[in-house]
Amino acid sequence: MTTRAMAVVVGAVVVGVALLAGVRLAVDENSTSSFTARTAWGEPNLTGVWRAAPLGARSGSDTFNLAKLEELYTAEARARMKGLSANDDPTMRCAPPAFPRAAMLGYPVQIIQRPGFAFVFTEAYPIFRIVPTTGRPHTAAQYLFPTHLGDSTARWEGDTLVIDVTSFNGEGWLASPQDKPTNASIGVWLTSDAMHVVERWRRVDADTLEYQASVEDRQMLMMPWETPTVIFKRQMIDRIEEVLCRPEDGPETYLARLGS
Amino acid sequence: MAMLACSGIALVSAQITPYTPPKTAPPGADWTKQIEDILPPGVESRAEATARIAAYEPDPVKYPVPRTAWDGKPDFSGVYWPDATITPPPLPLESLYRPEARAYREGGGAAAGLIDWRGIDTPNYHCWPPSPVNGSMGGTVQLVSAPGYLLLLNEGGSNFRIIPIVGANETRPTASRKPSFQGSSVGHWEGDTLVVEVTDFNGKPWLGGAQPPNRLPQTSSDALRIVERWSRPDAQIFEYQAVVEDTKMLTAPWTGPADRRGILPYDTVQESLCFLDPELDARHREFAAAEAKKRAGR
Repeated sequence: MTTRAMAVVVGAVVVGVALLAGVRLAVDENSTSSFTARTAWGEPNLTGVWRAAPLGARSGSDTFNLAKLEELYTAEARARMKGLSANDDPTMRCAPPAFPRAAMLGYPVQIIQRPGFAFVFTEAYPIFRIVPTTGRPHTAAQYLFPTHLGDSTARWEGDTLVIDVTSFNGEGWLASPQDKPTNASIGVWLTSDAMHVVERWRRVDADTLEYQASVEDRQMLMMPWETPTVIFKRQMIDRIEEVLCRPEDGPETYLARLGS
Repeated sequence: MAMLACSGIALVSAQITPYTPPKTAPPGADWTKQIEDILPPGVESRAEATARIAAYEPDPVKYPVPRTAWDGKPDFSGVYWPDATITPPPLPLESLYRPEARAYREGGGAAAGLIDWRGIDTPNYHCWPPSPVNGSMGGTVQLVSAPGYLLLLNEGGSNFRIIPIVGANETRPTASRKPSFQGSSVGHWEGDTLVVEVTDFNGKPWLGGAQPPNRLPQTSSDALRIVERWSRPDAQIFEYQAVVEDTKMLTAPWTGPADRRGILPYDTVQESLCFLDPELDARHREFAAAEAKKRAGR
């Protein structure tokens, strides 16, 4: 093929892609009257209150790929976990679980965006996450100390918000004590402060937000673990409820209040 | 122009540093020391900062009020500290308490049998959110203006408030709100002032602390209603004032102090959860058990 002919082909492809993109954009904008596909500053709009079905490994059904996670724990990690029980789960003293565990609880999550940031709020074990969306580097080491939710930074890959989370304190569990995917499961799901989570959030239509995470923890897991895709549905309310977890509640009372 | 914007985004995306595992800490390492290390040398004390903010003269010419790109209203976004009173309340809150509320207050109000107010115990020690008279703001606070919302993120305790702004949301306000510590907020603009009405409190918050033996806990009831006024006179500060109404506790609405906070050069607060240390927790349980026994014996 001559250079000239090549240029024509490339040109045609570019025009075709542009046309396709144009058509897709038009469909997005018109899909639902109450759905603004883009924020005023042009990002995919994730703002809203979202809720997914509860997920996990209960009564013989594993909806969160937890059998796989269990296989990935190293021998040392297994030995440590054997000595622990449900009472060692930090949520028992109201410590908020980090994502992806927070995504499997089945309680509402609220996202609010402004230019440069997304803020994620959870109703269960209420806490906020501040997520810079400009792709800036993680918080400088000098200001960084390990936390339950870790340090987040994100970038847009097409319409997907990709959040990179590091600097966890190693106290959180990846699932709940009730999650027992096999007969041999003990329901203990430790992490270390080497955990690294990559989350992918994407609004697929007016009422649906998809979530997926990949968890790497070289002190605990032999290989990275992938969660299944979690489907969040939009709740037409303007904010989540305040359901604080306070020491005097006791975990049972808190969980009962959450359920109501 | 669109091309330029696109390549700008691509450049920014490319700036994410490749992931390198963080340095791992030995189990039980003391991170408090590291937190202290981040305070720059020569940083002013709280008292110095408060005095400086209280004496500050707003200068909107030199420090123009930031405005949002989406509605042109003042943009409150920033991390603020500390809390300085610029106008004290015209009346002390205590002077408005109903005499008939005395027995309720003496018993500790909604904290009866839980908070030992005659000792040194306070709601803080139970991880309750800060007083609603102060906007439920603790120490360092991050405000965020977003389309349809003002967000309040407390560093201490990691409590937050989500304040929807009327007419600026795609969603309708929730019809019924469960009673809560921080209440249910709805904001509307009066010029450049955001006026927020807060209702549906759970009757637990203290409006002000006890000062044993002379002052009883300044309890609230489920009739508590607060109207807050948030303004941003210039880019260096924001101002806050609340009018507090509680027909079951107070004889008349109380106008709180006009407060002001100064902006800090950060764009995020940190996670700082409230946990009880085991010793304090044990003391609380002892007190609660003794109170329960007293009541059972009655």
